[in-house]
Amino acid sequence: MSLLSVSHLSLTIQDHSILHGVSLSVDEGEIVGLIGPNGSGKTTLFNVLSGFLKPTSGSVHYRGQDITNVSPSKRAKLGIGRVFQNFGIFREMTLEENVLVALEALPKQDRKNLGNLKDVVHGTLDMVGLLSHAKKKAGSLSGGQMRLLEIARTLKSGKTFFLLDEPTAGVSPKMTEQVADLIRQLKIEGKTVVIIEHDLPFISRICDRVIVMDVGRVVLTGKPQEVKKSKELQELYFGAELV
Amino acid sequence: MQLLMNGLIAGSLAALIAGGLALVYGVLGVFNLALGQMVLVGGYATWWFHVPLGLPLSASIVLGLLMGAALSWASFELFVNPFYKHHRFLPLVTTIALSMILDAAILLLWSERPRSIPTTGGGMISIVGMQATFTQLTLIMCTLLLLCGFACLFHSTPFGRKLRAVVQNPLAAMSLGVPAPLLHRIVFIMSGVFAAAGGIFLGIDQTLSTTIAFPLTIKAYAAIIAGGKGNIWGAVLCAYLIAILEQLLVGVHWFGTFYVSAGYQSTVALLFIIVFLLWKPQGLFATSQRLA
Repeated sequence: MSLLSVSHLSLTIQDHSILHGVSLSVDEGEIVGLIGPNGSGKTTLFNVLSGFLKPTSGSVHYRGQDITNVSPSKRAKLGIGRVFQNFGIFREMTLEENVLVALEALPKQDRKNLGNLKDVVHGTLDMVGLLSHAKKKAGSLSGGQMRLLEIARTLKSGKTFFLLDEPTAGVSPKMTEQVADLIRQLKIEGKTVVIIEHDLPFISRICDRVIVMDVGRVVLTGKPQEVKKSKELQELYFGAELV
Repeated sequence: MQLLMNGLIAGSLAALIAGGLALVYGVLGVFNLALGQMVLVGGYATWWFHVPLGLPLSASIVLGLLMGAALSWASFELFVNPFYKHHRFLPLVTTIALSMILDAAILLLWSERPRSIPTTGGGMISIVGMQATFTQLTLIMCTLLLLCGFACLFHSTPFGRKLRAVVQNPLAAMSLGVPAPLLHRIVFIMSGVFAAAGGIFLGIDQTLSTTIAFPLTIKAYAAIIAGGKGNIWGAVLCAYLIAILEQLLVGVHWFGTFYVSAGYQSTVALLFIIVFLLWKPQGLFATSQRLA
């Protein structure tokens, strides 16, 4: 059985149809890339999967449970984590507090299993080279550092399924490699990841499968190398087939 | 020096109200224009429990605070929650309606006669040339204790961290499992308790009257605009600042030639809003952020 299963998902907001019968599934342990031109509905689909938007029709099942009408915070407690396109950090809180708030939001038993929260916080910051900034406010970090903080915080918050929305946007090549390493580590740990990205080489390097969206529909799915060579993708991204 | 003491007394009242309001604005981004009436309900309810019903003052205060919490909760469910998700300015209209309903209810229940909550402890105490009654000093101390308690809760507990997370980035907080809608309710109820505490303060120190609801609301908004919208401590500090300026305006013999009429005292808050909107629209304590 798939970990996540989306069937015939449609969303209309103020007479504007954004998603049209999207159906897809993601297996446990898989790393899936979600690509497509701007406005194709990728982030909207993530918002529906996170519970921030309710679909007009269709359903979302997670571990066999219908979560279509489950609130975002309850989905988080089920193990669904999200990294936002526009930095989901708390700028007026220190880096320590940014991680701590994620750990404190975990169910009681999961929190107990982590042991000393302070050690987990420091371990998380150390993992992405931000331990020396632990007492600084997150708003003082560079864009790349904010991204690393958000990813590290989400990864260490006991989630098993991750929705990463453009995790390498505004990140330097060196930090992009750090992000790729973090995602690879998740795969080793058996976690499941769906990534929205425009960086096709990045997607090719780390994803097991790629789903292509256009105007609110899934238009193509397959292994990265197959999708990369497809005429549909080249036309979507470059307006014509590459010679 | 006496003006400073008067400012501290008036500022403590304003700080209680503005602190709760700033919390609501910071978390929900909505304006509650029925705040002044919520203050009055807390004060009048305490008076009603204590004077006509004859309950002890401490029990009456607890019941007054509970009334504030209950009213605030009901207001949130009926006048804010169904609207603010569609547009955060909608509660501007719905809370004006609520303020009118509460005005009418206060008149109906307690009539328009000014009321005071009687206390013992009216003896004057002198501190470095400043005179205040024992009751006034107790009120200042209670306000500072309440604000310090809230500061501890807000900055040093898991609950406070969740609250601040929701203030700063509600979507990210929810995606981590923080139940933002529940915290929205709790914050609104807390602001109601702060408002009721302000009303009790007012009833003990001065008199409760139906005409003061709007000036109280304006003062609280002046404090939160000047303090940096949603910055609780900025709002609290500016509430004290406005109260001290009000006292200075009417208490100082300007240039040794004239006094400003007490009728102009309430214009200080309005002037404060205008000056801050022109000089520092983001507020006194809005923090700058790195842009790249």
